[in-house]
Parts: sequence; structure tokens; C-alpha cells
Amino acid sequence: MTPANTEDKFFAIVSSLLNLPCDQLNRESSRETTEQWDSLKHMYLVMALEEEFGIEFDDSEVSDLCSAGALLDSIDGKLKP
Amino acid sequence: MSAQASADSYTSVFAEVAAMEKEAAGFKDEVKVLVLRQITIEGIETLIKHHLYSQQIRPIIEFGGYGTMVQDVLAAESVVSSDPDLIVLALSIDALDQNYGSPGWTKDAVRSELGSLFEFLASNTRATIAVHNFILPLWPEQGLVTDIAGLDLATQVAGLNKFVLEAVRAHVPRFVLMDWDRYLRQLGADAALDERGRYLWGAPFRRPFLDLWACQLSRVACVLRAKTKKVLVLDCDNTLWGGVIGEDGMEGIQLDANQYPGRAYFDFQTTVVHLAQRGVLITLCSKNNEADVSEVLDQHPWCRIKRDHLSAWRVNWNDKASNITELAAELNLGLESFVFVDDNPAECALVAEMLPQITVLQVPQKLHELPRLLLRDGLFDTLSVTQEDRERASRYQVESQRKQTRAAYGSINDYIRSMQTVAVIHRVSPGEVPRVAQLTQKTNQFNLTTRRYSERDIELLLADHNVAIYSLAARDRFGALGLVGVLIVRITDKLGEVDSFLMSCRALGRRLENAMIEHCLASLGVAHEIERWTAEYVETAKNGQVADFWARMGFVEIEAKDGGKRYSCTADGLICDGSTFVKIEKD
Repeated sequence: MTPANTEDKFFAIVSSLLNLPCDQLNRESSRETTEQWDSLKHMYLVMALEEEFGIEFDDSEVSDLCSAGALLDSIDGKLKP
Repeated sequence: MSAQASADSYTSVFAEVAAMEKEAAGFKDEVKVLVLRQITIEGIETLIKHHLYSQQIRPIIEFGGYGTMVQDVLAAESVVSSDPDLIVLALSIDALDQNYGSPGWTKDAVRSELGSLFEFLASNTRATIAVHNFILPLWPEQGLVTDIAGLDLATQVAGLNKFVLEAVRAHVPRFVLMDWDRYLRQLGADAALDERGRYLWGAPFRRPFLDLWACQLSRVACVLRAKTKKVLVLDCDNTLWGGVIGEDGMEGIQLDANQYPGRAYFDFQTTVVHLAQRGVLITLCSKNNEADVSEVLDQHPWCRIKRDHLSAWRVNWNDKASNITELAAELNLGLESFVFVDDNPAECALVAEMLPQITVLQVPQKLHELPRLLLRDGLFDTLSVTQEDRERASRYQVESQRKQTRAAYGSINDYIRSMQTVAVIHRVSPGEVPRVAQLTQKTNQFNLTTRRYSERDIELLLADHNVAIYSLAARDRFGALGLVGVLIVRITDKLGEVDSFLMSCRALGRRLENAMIEHCLASLGVAHEIERWTAEYVETAKNGQVADFWARMGFVEIEAKDGGKRYSCTADGLICDGSTFVKIEKD
């Protein structure tokens, strides 16, 4: 279970980068269901999440993390000590 | 502009820009930017907006197609037809030449591609072109070995960078160098470069690098939209030196380059002197006794700023807002082009409050940041520096001294005498022909007949024994005015006829014209036993001020016709008073 503050922060970032209100986003939001989430936005989303959380996604997972839930799980895993 | 690399994260930049989009739509100033790129750098769009929105400029940014750029540019009409103000290049050597990196690779193919690209852009667009150099490989492929033939990648890329720099030099101010190599040095490779991004997305740069680049591009846009500053107003105590001159004295103030904090002030002064060289007008506004400040400027061994660098100053006890308003009037420049620097937060606040158009900078608490204060934001940016720029300070200084002197004298005659004008009058020499011809072509107001002569015409007149051409060069106690007067006279028997007489505008109001006529007619009169002079006034749309010149000189009207009058004067009928105002020097 992702801590609430991580989740809030995550959606605030996604909302800002995709220029969408937070209430239109949830764990199920994905590149397939969200028009604004194109490949360029995905790149900046990855970079922004890394900046904000101080983490680094692996080369191989970057392209696979295509939904909010998948990104959150990965971030959560990296933040755990 | 005050844009600097300041963005903290993509998230905050995206949010700030999104919040400003509405307001930005109403900005009067727009800059059309076309990015021609072979790499993924779309993020730079938001970063440029972030910098430019704060300057009330709306950039309209378009990206050229990814990858195939050179062919695109050279083939397509779109670059030309979209008519951008600024073209940004973002090239990659491996896209320009697939063989890059292979053993024995040389820069030649890339060089020639770049050359044709540059020439195409220079001759087919009116845009300013932001060209960049390339980042040298960080991992030498030959290890410790220095390649004797210079066929290692670093040497080859360095050669390419030299070529880029030469191309920029050849096209200043159309081309501007975006110094990628310097951004890398400033940030360090880890903060600047994104290896993963390069492999995954063809996006080799991290945000801090893109932001520094965006900042430089924004500075160019600010120059294009004339948002840059022209005048620097400096406080003295604790700004140009440490301490208070009125209390600490010459020995006590801190300006010694071998000490702290003297070195910081010394280096700051150096940046000011460089700005003066670039044509920025430097002024002082300080609450001090003028004599104390003058002593530092004239005599302190470490004071790099000298009077010659200053265009004007207000060293007195009046409030600074009034003083700066006066400076603006004296220099005849708008307050929005002024930058004010002071250490005192109260003075900064007062000026910011009273004169909101002015950019106010406070001396930083961390004194080591002072030297870069005026360089960091590109406030005074230009795209080139001309000789005119370099001489600007002294011209303003001379003009402002003349004005002050004028204000200090009761009668105009006293004032004219106080200028101590000295004239050198002689027969025109071959070296003066170009200037003499130029004056006949350009002078409109003080020009009695407005006859235009080419250099060839003047040469022919010089060769004519019946013609005398005189030039007048002048100086006053503030400086040289140069060659400013021309008189052409024809002599037949004992009759002298004035063909042309003119005086440059900047020489007027000091009776030089009287002195010249007096002097020349007197000496010709003696040499040729002249009995009578004739002269003409030929009316034009611009020379009304000399309509009665000949009458004032003692000539009598003998004929009035359409568009002018003819005058005559006996040899002893001339009114001579010019020499009481002007000293004539023998050369």
C-alpha cells in the first residue's frame, strides 16, 4: 500500500505535467486511456518523477511503466529502505 | 532581461508556465522561434516560455522534423516561408555523419554539411541564428594515448568547434553562439548530460543544461525585442568599494585587489568597465561629498572606474529617485532602460517604489557574488559591439559638460567665450577631400547654397587656380569637434564669389561661422587684392536659419529671385566679431 502523501504528490506531478485536473486521474489512468499522455509527455513524466522523488527508474522499465498504478508501485518499491 | 537558470524542477516549471498562459496570450511582444533539431529537446519550449513570460514576451515555438534536418532545411521552403525571428539549431554529430566514431573518422564531412547549412540560413532567412558548438567525448576511445595524427575524436570535434566559432564570427550579429561546451563546464557532466535519455529517447540533455540553453536563447529574444538596458546607475560606498569614503578616507576604504573584501569590489569595477566598453552608459548616484568621490576616481590606485567611463553623475545629498530622474533627463533616455545598484535596502526600496520602471539590484549579502551581479542576467546584452558603442560614454560626457557649462553662465556670450573654442582654418589638403565632399553632401541646415560635390568634384576644384577651398576644424575645452566647416570661393580678377559655405550642426552656436568668413575673406582679400565680394543664399526646405546670414555679415542684397538672393559686399564692409569668440590657430 502506497503511503497517502506519496500518492498525493505523485498525482500532483502527473496532473501538472499532463495538464489535467487531479480528479480525472487515478491508479487506472494509463497511456492508453489518457490522450494527453503521449510518448513525449511520458519522457518528461519519468524525468519529473525522478527529480521529485529522488529516484531513478531502470532503463528497461521506463517504457513499460505505462499506467499510474505501475509507476506508483515502482516508486514505492524504490522509496522503501 | 533578468532570466537566469533558476528552474527547480520540471514540475514547478510546467506549473508556473501553465499558470501564466492566459496572461501571456495578451503580451504585445512576440518572438517566432523555429527549432531545427536532430535530438529530442521539446522540454526547452516550456523552459524558454518560463524565462520569457517574466519579460512579457510570448515565444511562438515550432520544432522542425526530427532527425533528417539538414536535408529538410536545404530542400524545404518552410524554413523560409515561416519567417522566424530566431532559428535554433540543435544538431548531433552522429546524425550528421553515420560514420562518426569509427576509427580514423575525420570531421570533414560534418564540416562541409555545417558550412552549407549556415550559408543557406544566412542567405535565405532574415532570422537571428543560434548556432552551437559540440560537446567533446568524455571517454577517450584511445585511452591514455595521444593520437599523433590528431585522428582521435576529441581533436576532431574540437576542430569542428573551431569551425563553428569562425562561422559565427563571420556572421555577427546574425549568428549567436550557444556555448554548449561552457554549459557543460558550468554544470558538470552528471548534471548536464543524460546518457539514458540519449539511448532511450534521443534526448541527451538533462533539465539544468536545457535550462541554461533556454536562458541564453531567451536573452537573444530579449535583445531582438529591445528589452535590454542601456544605463547603469551605481551607488559608491559599499558598492564600488567597501566602507564609506567620507568617514574611512582613501586609506580606509576596501578596494585592494590583494585583500578581502577589496578584491570583490575591484572585480565588480572590472565588470563595470567592460560594460562601458560595450557602450553601456555608466553613471554614479551617491550621497557623498563630490570631492571625496572624485578623489577615489582620480587617485585610488585600485579604482578601475575612472571619470572617462562615466557619462554623468549625481554625487550630492538629494534623494536618489530625484537624482535618477535628473540623470534620465540629462542623458535623454527612458527610465525603463536604467539599472540601479545600491547596497542599502532602504535606497533600493525607495527607488523601486518611486521609479517602478527601473531595474533595481541590491549588492548581494554574499559579497563573492557581487562581481557576477551585472553579467549573470544579461541585462545589458547586445548582439554586437560597434566603434560607436565604444565611444558612447565620452560623447555623452562631453555633451553633458557642455550643457552644465551653459547652465552656469548668465549671458550667452559669456558662455560661448567660456567654451574656449579654437579653430584651425586652412586650404583643403588632399587628405581632407573625402570629409569635405561628405559635408557638402550631408549638410542641410547651415548650408548657404547646398551645392553637392563628389570627391572627384572637389579634386577638380582643388586643381583649379581660380578656386580656393578652406576647411575649418575645431575643438573646445571639452574635446574635438573635427572638420566641421567648408568654404569654396571663386576668384576672377579682383572679384571674389562665394560658391559654397557650410557648417556642420554640431559646430553651431559658437560663432565659428563668423570667424571662418572673416578669416578666409581677409586673407584672400590681401593675397588677390579683392575689391568686391559676392555671395548667394539658395533657399531649400531646411536652410531657413541662414536666410539672413550674409546680411548679418555686412553684405548688401543686390538681387532677389525665386528661391534665393544675391549679395554683394566691399572688402572693408564685412562685420568682424567672430574672432572675439573663437581663437584661430595657425597650423
